[in-house]
Amino acid sequence: MTELRFHRDLYDGQAVDEAIKTFDRYATIERAEEDTHWVVRLSADAPSRERRVAGELANFALGLTIRRSKSAT
Amino acid sequence: MSSSLEGFPEGQVQFDLERGAASVRVDSSVYPLEALYGAAYVFIDRAYVLLDRAEGDAYRVWISPKKPAAEDALRALLGEFANELLSCAWRAQIAKDSRSIIEQATTRALGGARGAPSLDDLESFDFSDESFEDPLGIAMSWEEKYGKKKGAEGSEAKAAPAGAEAAAAEGEPTP
Repeated sequence: MTELRFHRDLYDGQAVDEAIKTFDRYATIERAEEDTHWVVRLSADAPSRERRVAGELANFALGLTIRRSKSAT
Repeated sequence: MSSSLEGFPEGQVQFDLERGAASVRVDSSVYPLEALYGAAYVFIDRAYVLLDRAEGDAYRVWISPKKPAAEDALRALLGEFANELLSCAWRAQIAKDSRSIIEQATTRALGGARGAPSLDDLESFDFSDESFEDPLGIAMSWEEKYGKKKGAEGSEAKAAPAGAEAAAAEGEPTP
């Protein structure tokens, strides 16, 4: 299982949710909340697939966060 | 996990060869968040990037190439990221410094795009102000410079009725 921790100061919560929805079909994904982070736990059939899905999900969430921060300013 | 990497200050980087990932600590007082976002965005097509908060007033950036890479390639990627971060921070500073100029230019452009002034605007406009100084007297209208003198106009005006009277006497139509 891979755990991704998205800090609330740096990531938009809606962007993380959208990333989870987008990659939901490629892996089993759970979402949890902590005071400072959104936590995403992810598992897939193969380690290489898990690494790839986790990485792409993190990039997707980051890209959406950046785009939203640009459009907000 | 190693905490030193050739070419980087001690303690600034973490290096995990097993996971094929490296991280760098970024001081938030030196690099603003928008610069960090900008640099991270450049790399998301070839690496997995994850941002986090670090101890103190800092960020930590985890970066991992999408294709498995050796130590040298990882070090090079981290170096490129650091350079891109510096570039983005400098661009953010320039944008911040020139923001007022950009706003002024935009405001003037939008003001000009409102179209021609209405009659009410023209009526209330003060035309008495001198728009600019003209010490050499070159800002002269065409009429002022090449137009007929008043005296010449007067003599022609006097001559015209006499010709008209003569034409009328001969039965020709006057123009």
